[in-house]
Amino acid sequence: MAKVITEENLRSLIDLLIKAGKRVIGPKRAGEMTIYEPLASGSELTPGTLPRRSAKEAFFPLSETILSFQKDRDGLKVDDVDTASFPETVLVGALPCDAAAPQVMDAVFSWDYKDEFYLERRRRTTIIGLSCTSADDSCFCTLVGLSPTDTKGSDLFLTPLAGGGYSCEAVTDRGEQLLAGYPELFTEAATVTPIPAAQPEGAPVDLAKVKVWLEEHFEDEIWEEVANRCVGCGACAFLCPACHCFDIVDEGTEQKGSRRKNWDACAFSKFTNHASGHNPRDVQNKRYRNRFMHKFKYYDDKFGKTLCTGCGRCIRYCPVGIDIKGILEEIGKKSLSTKDTKGHEANHHG
Amino acid sequence: MSENIYLPHLATIAEMRDETADIRSFKLVFQDEKVRDSFIFRAGQFAEYSAFGAGEATFCIASPPTRSGYIECCFRSVGRVTDALRALEVGDSIGVRGPYGNSFPIEEFYGKNMVFVAGGIALPPLRTVIWNCLDLREKFGDITIVYGARTEDDLVYKHELKEWEERPDVNLVKTVDPGGNGPTWNGHVGFVPTILEQAAPSAENSIALVCGPPIMIKFTLPVLEKLGFSDDAIYTTLENRMKCGLGKCGRCNVGNIYVCKDGPVFSARQVKAMPQEF
Repeated sequence: MAKVITEENLRSLIDLLIKAGKRVIGPKRAGEMTIYEPLASGSELTPGTLPRRSAKEAFFPLSETILSFQKDRDGLKVDDVDTASFPETVLVGALPCDAAAPQVMDAVFSWDYKDEFYLERRRRTTIIGLSCTSADDSCFCTLVGLSPTDTKGSDLFLTPLAGGGYSCEAVTDRGEQLLAGYPELFTEAATVTPIPAAQPEGAPVDLAKVKVWLEEHFEDEIWEEVANRCVGCGACAFLCPACHCFDIVDEGTEQKGSRRKNWDACAFSKFTNHASGHNPRDVQNKRYRNRFMHKFKYYDDKFGKTLCTGCGRCIRYCPVGIDIKGILEEIGKKSLSTKDTKGHEANHHG
Repeated sequence: MSENIYLPHLATIAEMRDETADIRSFKLVFQDEKVRDSFIFRAGQFAEYSAFGAGEATFCIASPPTRSGYIECCFRSVGRVTDALRALEVGDSIGVRGPYGNSFPIEEFYGKNMVFVAGGIALPPLRTVIWNCLDLREKFGDITIVYGARTEDDLVYKHELKEWEERPDVNLVKTVDPGGNGPTWNGHVGFVPTILEQAAPSAENSIALVCGPPIMIKFTLPVLEKLGFSDDAIYTTLENRMKCGLGKCGRCNVGNIYVCKDGPVFSARQVKAMPQEF
């Protein structure tokens, strides 16, 4: 037996969650595009197509206050941020590439020092994932070990059905609780017919081999070939569900203001610029190399995870057409022929 | 918040001194007595210092851990934050987060001769170790300090250079770049690597600590090698740009090494094994 929810009841669920005081974030139409935004009602939910920006703002806002300060006659006073003010959130309709990303980012925000800004928002967020039924040629989740039906990161997972509505799979206890909290909205069905899942083009890449190749090719002509045209706009990092780099800046005056944590991007020329003027990543292709290495080598070295879920946004919206999927495929091929060449040739030609 | 890792301690500027025309040092005392006792650091660690309204900047802790109750820092005015720090006066409050990063393995240096090589504003990260050694003088062998700057005026901690010069248990070799010497200059004239080679401290049972601009380090390492120092006997600090200091914000990395967590102190062997992007 499968749990099933109708389209109408899914919208009712959103309304009930909002009524219960939760912030419900889901894909919502905004002019020509869809974006993940807080929904005012279930009727605003626009599921299915990949929203323009990722869902990471639910945990890692574009800009957030990390402290505020004020100077008066008694001196300087610094005020902490109250995490109790962070909203209980349900992220609904997150496609697998977006639902899986927070689990990747958890590693950096929770190792050693704990970033409670991120972690508390994560604790307060339930994710209702949605199986993906339409891929374009920029999609590559299957190249990086995910799939359009991957439940990773979701608490409850919805699969669109051919006759309308969704089958529902509780992935975590939290997902079970959500099902149990609103029994009237779900029905049981003996058999269900899912809409066929999306099929992104391209064969899976052996990421372990790619890592070995990257280890040995820090200096390689490929970086200039692929990245010399990068204009350093940072759109890739801002649209990415897994990019986590940030800046810390003060706003206001010395009398009164706040300190904020803002998204930043390794593509920006000042990102690593020293006070002396020395810049370790002084040209754009070094910055792109860092982005690629961070995703497919450094993050894995440190946390055992790939910092990419294959959503393809950085390809779709790159103003100069830099294609991380193509680069990954190319390095994937190179990594097969450089390492253990004999064994590999024996497999194919022997 | 249970624990806001970005929240600084407040410290009062107890003293300040102009080291050069644009380099100033602060002596800072934490306002909270408990923090004064609990802020325990090791030589080589750094902190994030903030001028509220302008932001945070990363500097080493320039005072030695052997002296408690206060910390010192030293900075050049080059931008928004350091200009704002410079605009502060004695008695004003600044924010301090830290101590962060690894440190020099001082205990491993006990019984050894110490050779310090510094250029320009890079004396502060070694000054913490120098005073650490001098405060525990009997634990170390010979102490040699080779320190240079572009001109006489660019030397920092001039009053301490004088003190070290007068101490019989310190060999201070000070130098300025050709053309940087005034009429009363009594030190050497020449670039740090050249003067180091002439001073030729023995590598026998010795440790060398090197801090300076990348170009100075580049030319100093081969000299130390020539003098017989192994890559394990040479230490330096990498001074990459940082924001969080906590291994989160993603800009200080050299390859998969986070300078803020795995550094800033590295042996020459570690530095040579890194991707050459620093």
